[in-house]
Amino acid sequence: MIGFLARRLVQAIIVVIGVLLLVFLLAHIIPGGEARAALGPRATRAQVAQFNRINGFTLPLWDQFYRYLDNIVHLNLGYSYSYNQGVWALIASRLPRTIVLVGLSTILALVIAIPLGILQVVRRNHPSDYVMTGLSFLFYAMPAFLLGELLILYFAVDLKWFPVGFSQSETAIDILKDPRSLVLPMFTLAALTIASFSRYMRSSMMEAMTEDYVRTAKAKGAAPRRVLYGHALRNAIIPILTLLGLSIPAIVSGAVITETVFNYPGMGFLTVEAAMKTDVPVILGTTLVATVATVIGSLLADVLYAVADPRIRYARR
Amino acid sequence: MAPLTPGWLPDPAVASENKRPGDVKHVSLQFGNVLATSPVPAGNSSEGGFHVGRTKRVTTVAAGVAIAALLMTACSSSSSSSSSAATSGTKVQGGTATWAEQPATPPNYIFPFMNLAFFGINNLPEFQYLMYRPMYIFGVGASSSLNTSLSLAQTPVYSNNNQTAVINLKNYKWSNGETVNATDVMFWMNMMHAEKANWAAYSPGAMPDNVKSITINSPTQLTFQFTGSYNPYWLTYNQFSQITPLPVAWDIASTGAAPGSGGCSSAAYGTADTQCTAVYTYLSKQAGFDPANPSAANNSLSTYATNPLWQVVDGPWHLTAFDASGDVTMAPNKTYSGPVKPTLAYFKEVPFTSDSSQFNSLVAGQLTFGHLPFEDVTSQTTNPLVPGANNPRLAGNFALAPLYLYSIDYFPYNFNSTGNDGTAGKIFSQLYFRQAMQYLVDQPLFIDKVFHGYAAPTYGPVPVIPPTFASTQEQSNPYPYDATKAKSLLTSHGWTVVPNGTSTCTDPGTGTNQCGAGIPAGTKADFDLQYASGTNYIVQLMNTEKASWAQVGINVNLSSASFNTVIGNSTPCSPGPSCTWQMLNWGAGWEFSPDYYPTGEEIFQTGAGSNSGSYSDPTNDANIKATNTTTVNLDQYQNYLASQLPVVWQPNPPFMMSEISNNLKGATPQNVFGGLFPENWYFTKS
Repeated sequence: MIGFLARRLVQAIIVVIGVLLLVFLLAHIIPGGEARAALGPRATRAQVAQFNRINGFTLPLWDQFYRYLDNIVHLNLGYSYSYNQGVWALIASRLPRTIVLVGLSTILALVIAIPLGILQVVRRNHPSDYVMTGLSFLFYAMPAFLLGELLILYFAVDLKWFPVGFSQSETAIDILKDPRSLVLPMFTLAALTIASFSRYMRSSMMEAMTEDYVRTAKAKGAAPRRVLYGHALRNAIIPILTLLGLSIPAIVSGAVITETVFNYPGMGFLTVEAAMKTDVPVILGTTLVATVATVIGSLLADVLYAVADPRIRYARR
Repeated sequence: MAPLTPGWLPDPAVASENKRPGDVKHVSLQFGNVLATSPVPAGNSSEGGFHVGRTKRVTTVAAGVAIAALLMTACSSSSSSSSSAATSGTKVQGGTATWAEQPATPPNYIFPFMNLAFFGINNLPEFQYLMYRPMYIFGVGASSSLNTSLSLAQTPVYSNNNQTAVINLKNYKWSNGETVNATDVMFWMNMMHAEKANWAAYSPGAMPDNVKSITINSPTQLTFQFTGSYNPYWLTYNQFSQITPLPVAWDIASTGAAPGSGGCSSAAYGTADTQCTAVYTYLSKQAGFDPANPSAANNSLSTYATNPLWQVVDGPWHLTAFDASGDVTMAPNKTYSGPVKPTLAYFKEVPFTSDSSQFNSLVAGQLTFGHLPFEDVTSQTTNPLVPGANNPRLAGNFALAPLYLYSIDYFPYNFNSTGNDGTAGKIFSQLYFRQAMQYLVDQPLFIDKVFHGYAAPTYGPVPVIPPTFASTQEQSNPYPYDATKAKSLLTSHGWTVVPNGTSTCTDPGTGTNQCGAGIPAGTKADFDLQYASGTNYIVQLMNTEKASWAQVGINVNLSSASFNTVIGNSTPCSPGPSCTWQMLNWGAGWEFSPDYYPTGEEIFQTGAGSNSGSYSDPTNDANIKATNTTTVNLDQYQNYLASQLPVVWQPNPPFMMSEISNNLKGATPQNVFGGLFPENWYFTKS
């Protein structure tokens, strides 16, 4: 296992540097570059030249990239002109908020989707299965902005049960102190995720129920509950673990549509705004976070695989 | 609401030795069936000054009609925006007004001396000006004129052939008890002298380059000596407009240092560059930006409301809360010495991620002052100044009030373009071709159909709403829609017109009836136009204009890109293999601020940084120079460019469709430079 982890770590570093290099190069071929983006249409050539000089954009690209990597090592992700903040501070303020929103909604989705998927297998071809399947398809197909707007319209504007927007509090703790503002955006995200997770769970569970070891357990007289939870579930949940691992990048990189609809400036909104504003340091910073999260997520999924399935023995490979 | 009466326009030249363009008079502007009028400074133009109609009698009658129409318009506007203009209800002391920031553009810079990266409406008129007043404030009611009442100084007194200006400060106070005095102005000027490259509005040859000396005559009076003779309007509106007096408490180079110890405020003009640079660096860092090392970690943004430096204010408000996402709370400055003290207890600015989230907050009644996304405009108007019916979801609680900035909308041709097989720039250089293009831009129709009537036409380089400096000729639309004329212009210059196809030059040459220099036979009228994506009405406008041009076989290939990409592409370029862009529309034209006198040297003068299309015309350059350095008015300059078409003029939509709560009064008329004056606001109860 240690060898496997070491190999994956080396791969991860290469992947992160590769992704950063790619984004760095792409960002630097944008017309007008960062100077025009930051200074706007009023900038004179002299002002553009001065901007490029003090920000080091006159250096060779490789030198700029080297300095960027060097700064990362020192936890300096650069400075955003459009936000007048260091990128690290900017991410540090947005990340906890996104983790609260997307993380909680993912947990909620898991808590609901797994039993729901199992229930659909147990009640397969019953009316309740058809209803749940129908609802899953409905939410799965529904765009987040539409669901969000409908929820706002009904529950916030008409019934006034919840605020129309998310808490604007700066810290995760303060956000959690205002749980009413969490309800609608969490439900919006969770509804879509539940739909997808429960479908995976249902099909995975159905597949597991046809496996030989389940048939054997049944033949040996194991109780249906034990067959379901003791034998089938442990194997059926492996695809969900993969999904969960792959959800980590989403948890840290945000849900841009939901954040936009609910006026919640999190990581997703930050990334899109940075792209729109050609704010290269922020683009690179959010890319770094998303890349690291992706690498960690897939690594975590692999490890969880091994934990959930004893047949997988990475250490021996 | 300030009544628009003849003579309300302050004339900075009144005190001048040379009585310049100066007399105030009215012009009228036709919008559908309603006339909007505004007094404008009359010029000594060859046309005998501005007039409506052909004779003085007609002028008088028209002026009378215009004034009556204005009053009707104002009344109509008032009734439509009854929330703010009406005086019904009892005035309530206190309360909190919540104002919606434009999506994703929260204020993020507090120090008034800033570079272009921070120079925007979000940081200046919507944020800093509430706390730190510029020496001169512009916008009176709905006009673009100098606001002598709110300014910190009297109108400059010019003498010595307009080479000398005397500034007399009023008796404003800083919140720490000190007087806003000549030293504070010198502090700014010394900083500008030392750090002009870091001042956003700096233009080579202009202030501070053209300032020979500044003398403090007394605590309330300074004399500026310029290197030459200048137009007093230009000096007041475009040069002195840049000055924001800075408190001596800010003249420090380190935290805890004694006020004034920085040595920038007390020094003679231009003698303390080193000290001023140190002070500038320190203050910039306190504002969150390290000019010497921008990438250095700096999280000062979160300290804006707690840093004692920023609590020294001379405006009507001071900051009580600020967070990096743009949540801003201000409370009245109890020592504010201006004419209108705040009535509200708090003024809050609220950030939004999108138009839709802001709209939802409006519908839910969580805002006092927001804006209607253009996509949610549900009714038509025949006069852009008079709103039609409000969106039904808001009509019960809010009044609609469109805000037009003092701006023009256009997109440039690239006169140096080597696109279209090297001919694009050559074709654009032909006036007849530009005229054909402009004849097909049916602005009244587009305003009606694309903008629901909510847009001002742009017929030249000077805004027509408000018509403060617009000439009669420019306002009359020199190129009204005429497809026949457009076709005729092409056919009479050697083009074979193929409607809804691509016209071709079939008679090359430089004769008066030929295509023009550098346009060989077989050249097609086939161009690329990139526009900023993300705004529905820009997409509609571009498609409509494309269809209109197609009528005479001018084929325009549209593509879209982000605003910043379009801006990035719009860099002026010299003819060459890489200079291929042909037309670019970033969708925002130009707002005149802090160049409040729209002389256009930054956008239309040869070699100007923002002259994206590299337009170059010696006559225009001479006209611009004359508006800067002599006392001629803007007529000659604007009439010439209105006819020469250096760009494609197009409709100018409102900056925002303001929605003002029915119980909030005093918020209209809105400032045409986007300035917020919540000290005028108050709540009422019925």
